[in-house]
Amino acid sequence: MSERMDRELGPGERLRLRLHLTVCATCSRIERQMQFLRQAMRRLGEG
Amino acid sequence: MEAALELNATLGGMRPLLLKLARLQLRNEAWAEDVVSETMLAAIEQAQRFEARSKMRTWVIGILKHKIVDQLRRQMREVSIEAQIESGEIEEFDELFNDEGRRLEPVQSWGDPEELLSRQEFFEVLQSCVDALPPALARIFLMREWLEYDTAQLCKELNITATNCHVMLFRARMRLRECVGRKWGRRGVAS
Repeated sequence: MSERMDRELGPGERLRLRLHLTVCATCSRIERQMQFLRQAMRRLGEG
Repeated sequence: MEAALELNATLGGMRPLLLKLARLQLRNEAWAEDVVSETMLAAIEQAQRFEARSKMRTWVIGILKHKIVDQLRRQMREVSIEAQIESGEIEEFDELFNDEGRRLEPVQSWGDPEELLSRQEFFEVLQSCVDALPPALARIFLMREWLEYDTAQLCKELNITATNCHVMLFRARMRLRECVGRKWGRRGVAS
């Protein structure tokens, strides 16, 4: 999840991650929060 | 003329914020003071290049980020023993996972993202949580997510392996979301 934000995953990795996220609601939420943190960090201080 | 006055006023008002941001990334008072002074000088020198359609604050923070990148590059040439000590320090933490890789604590929703991004208090919580990260994690996380370094370049400049790089970023993100969730949840604003 985190690694996907830093490098392109291979097809197998992408598939496995997607499958996992469909069954793990907590993981999906964590992933959304990580993505959101990225969005927020880019606006840090810009008000 | 008016633009110059506006720039001076904006810069004066922004100084505390610029210092806070510089400290967050550099964790060193003297370096933070230096980059902020350089930023303010550069902003005044480049005033003509400022285009009114972008926000002045955004433009000034853009300059600050460049100055911080320069400073980091100067530091990184003197590869630090400090970095080795720090990487030892972060080995012990388990990021709230147990042995089977299951989370120990339920993850709460933070509420509407757009609403959060419009709230100054949220950014204060975010900043305090970044500040609470171990220095090595805060540095790499800010370089990636605030200064927007490319990952390959980031690992190279920090002189660490790609795997280590990913692990550190993962840890920083996990700790940060745990901290933000805890502090923001406690305010009872977002469910």
